[in-house]
Amino acid sequence: MLAKINSYALNGLDGYGVTVEVDIHSGLPAFDVVGLPDAAIKESRERVRSAIKNSGFDFTPRKITVNLAPAHTKKEGPIFDLAIALGILCSTEQAGVDENNVPVKAIGEYVFLGELSLSGSVGRINGVMPMLIAARERGVKKIVIPKANVNEARYIRGIEVYAVETLRDAVSLINGEVKAPIDKCDILTTGGAKPSEDLKYVKGQYFAKRALEIAAAGGHNILMIGSPGGGKTMLAKCLTGILPEMTEREILETTKIHSVAGILDEERGIVTVRPFRSPHHTSSRIALTGGGSSARPGEISYAHNGVLFLDELPEYPRSVLEILRQPLEDGVVTVSRAARSVEYPANFMLVASMNPCPCGYNGSKTHDCSCSPSQIQKYMSRISGPLLDRIDLHIQVDEVGYGDLTEGIEAESSADVRARVNAARDVQNKRFDGTDVTCNANMTSEMIKTHCALDSAGERILQSAFDKLGLSARAYTRILKVARTIADLGGSENITSNHVAEAVMYRSLDKAVK
Amino acid sequence: MLLSDIYLWLSYSHIATPKLNKILEQVSPTQLWDILSDEGKYLLDEKTFNTLKRTHSVDYIERAKQYLEINNVKYVTRADPAYPTALAQTEVNPPPVIYYKGNLDIVREPCIAVVGTRRASQYGKYATNKIVEELAGAFTIVSGLAAGIDAFAHSAALKAGGKTIAVLGSGLFNASPVSNLKLFDEICRDGLVMSEYTPDVHASAYTFPQRNRLISGLSRGVLVVEAAERSGSLITAGCALDQGRDVFAVPGDIDKPRSIGTNNLIKSGAIAVTCASDISDYYSVSLKKSERKIIALDFSEQHVLDMLNEGEKTFDCLAETSGMSVPELNIALSSLIINGLIHEKSKNLYCVS
Repeated sequence: MLAKINSYALNGLDGYGVTVEVDIHSGLPAFDVVGLPDAAIKESRERVRSAIKNSGFDFTPRKITVNLAPAHTKKEGPIFDLAIALGILCSTEQAGVDENNVPVKAIGEYVFLGELSLSGSVGRINGVMPMLIAARERGVKKIVIPKANVNEARYIRGIEVYAVETLRDAVSLINGEVKAPIDKCDILTTGGAKPSEDLKYVKGQYFAKRALEIAAAGGHNILMIGSPGGGKTMLAKCLTGILPEMTEREILETTKIHSVAGILDEERGIVTVRPFRSPHHTSSRIALTGGGSSARPGEISYAHNGVLFLDELPEYPRSVLEILRQPLEDGVVTVSRAARSVEYPANFMLVASMNPCPCGYNGSKTHDCSCSPSQIQKYMSRISGPLLDRIDLHIQVDEVGYGDLTEGIEAESSADVRARVNAARDVQNKRFDGTDVTCNANMTSEMIKTHCALDSAGERILQSAFDKLGLSARAYTRILKVARTIADLGGSENITSNHVAEAVMYRSLDKAVK
Repeated sequence: MLLSDIYLWLSYSHIATPKLNKILEQVSPTQLWDILSDEGKYLLDEKTFNTLKRTHSVDYIERAKQYLEINNVKYVTRADPAYPTALAQTEVNPPPVIYYKGNLDIVREPCIAVVGTRRASQYGKYATNKIVEELAGAFTIVSGLAAGIDAFAHSAALKAGGKTIAVLGSGLFNASPVSNLKLFDEICRDGLVMSEYTPDVHASAYTFPQRNRLISGLSRGVLVVEAAERSGSLITAGCALDQGRDVFAVPGDIDKPRSIGTNNLIKSGAIAVTCASDISDYYSVSLKKSERKIIALDFSEQHVLDMLNEGEKTFDCLAETSGMSVPELNIALSSLIINGLIHEKSKNLYCVS
């Protein structure tokens, strides 16, 4: 007898319906899965066999053929386990039939997702949130998911979600047992978790903290240059705490990616704190942008709507850094592989840190640098001009003295800084209303012309700054953008000479490579 | 055969200048050319003879001259009146030919050599810029186009609108390091780049110490800005003493390896220099006073300047003690830097200029 069970699969962040067809007929005992399954699905035969047996059902060897339709797309992962098991039970009339052995119609209304363990319990799977959203858009009304995935499903309204713990639960559900769908809740009511670091614990470093505030307010990418032990990593971690709270749209976008990647916190279910990703410098290109045969998202997509922190920037292979250029510009990354081409959002703030020279002590007050000029030049040149062009602020971070560490003065907390950042973002939201641009850092050259006009005093100070500090031409628009953000932070409509003067301070690399 | 062509022949023979000058003490260049085919064998050792013989043809010299012309390299030989008189002294060991690009006339003006370590510190950079910028008004600045102090000296001189001479330790076509090639072009345009080596010669371990004698030879005095205990710039200072030139040195911290050389120079009698007028007064030359613009400072700028007048301070220290907010402090520092009243000594450490 033939049974059809609905399930879902993912292509990138988008889902599509998969029908699991199970046919059992006479012949030599066999269990075949067709429809371009990957290794995990082929292995599901063993899981399904044991799960059925251990749930108290009968699994008499017969010729079983499972088809995953549409047959032309590659399917992967263990998400079809539950559907396959139910299909077998239905076609052997152990499930999906009432007392009179009449098939229940209700089974077609459900979509089943879930991995089976040998004992018959239903385990957690990846990508539940994007599949729920896709299923809702395609008119699916009822969906069955593993209980472990409940937390991320709570926030998707407009679709009835049923959580099952075991194969038996799922069977009783389709047999007509009345079960309540899970409760839904609003996204913003959950409240954000505390970020790991707070600015108030950073002693001294006033200059760097101010630069971070500006970076957060305008969405500017930032490069911190400093000797080891300067607290660059800690400063970077503080950034998530001073960026504005995530909006509902941002939470959904980021959660979708994290759900697909399987890095979602099971307890929380959604991402409410801006992600902070710091891939190690040995990471490959694919780890960063995404890819692999199944075109998975990479670190830059995990950092979507958050911070991508690249510690020791020059240590990353050049090829890895160069691929960041296009996502930095467009906010998306397109991963194309032989089998498929997927677009992942990657709208992140780049925070990078580096030493001033290979030994790390160039310009240090306490240590002598032992590097030759050509070594320093070589080190600096590992970061290409085009990449540097996309980083608006570069600052020097110096090591903290013992006295600073023990001083009792409590610094401003992240929450206070965030309040100012939020105010500046409000100004920007009004300014860029109706455009794709969300913050000053992403202004087009036309917008720079209209929004960053300088008065004559401002022009004069910028001119003399270029003469005096030997700034490169590429610094010009960067300074204008940063000055715009500083003006926004100060609540000023126009950019004054003071804003320009401060913006000039954040171009230390232009001076260094002069 | 023109005397200048004979000097060119001697230069192209690539015999080391001291050895060549020893031979020329015994025979004149013209004689050497004439006798080389027969008696030369008895006068010279075999190796020198063979080396000279190799290029001993009118045809070869003509081709060399064409090559120089096509490649736009000018040269001046000891036979020419334009040959720098400062180099013609025997103590300098004058090379037979100087190859150059740029304006040769500036060697006639009073020159000061500014040399120092390739691995300059922020302090060395600051000291070079400060002293050279003022000095360049009255003196031509001579240096060796190396990385570090040399490069800072050249660019500071050019920036101040002064004249500068780069003496290379290689042929003109093989100037190094690559990072200074832009500077090389600028000096060719606004100053003078010269070398005693034929244009295709590559730099080697012995060419740099050799050219140091020309740096000091061209100059009335040599200023060493930063030098470690063993440093090439000390060779230049030694040459200067042998040639009867003055040696100046910028003092530095006693615990900094890059100041040991200069401090030692001062201990053994070099003149300590802390500003350009120390040199100009020594030669009784008046520096053009760079008229310092009177800059109207607002209250916060004046406040920061007053604090820095007490001594260098870090950003954090200023932020904590000035009573100003961080943005205010940033603005004040920025405009003071732009106006040239203070500078960033090292990372986030500010002091008055």
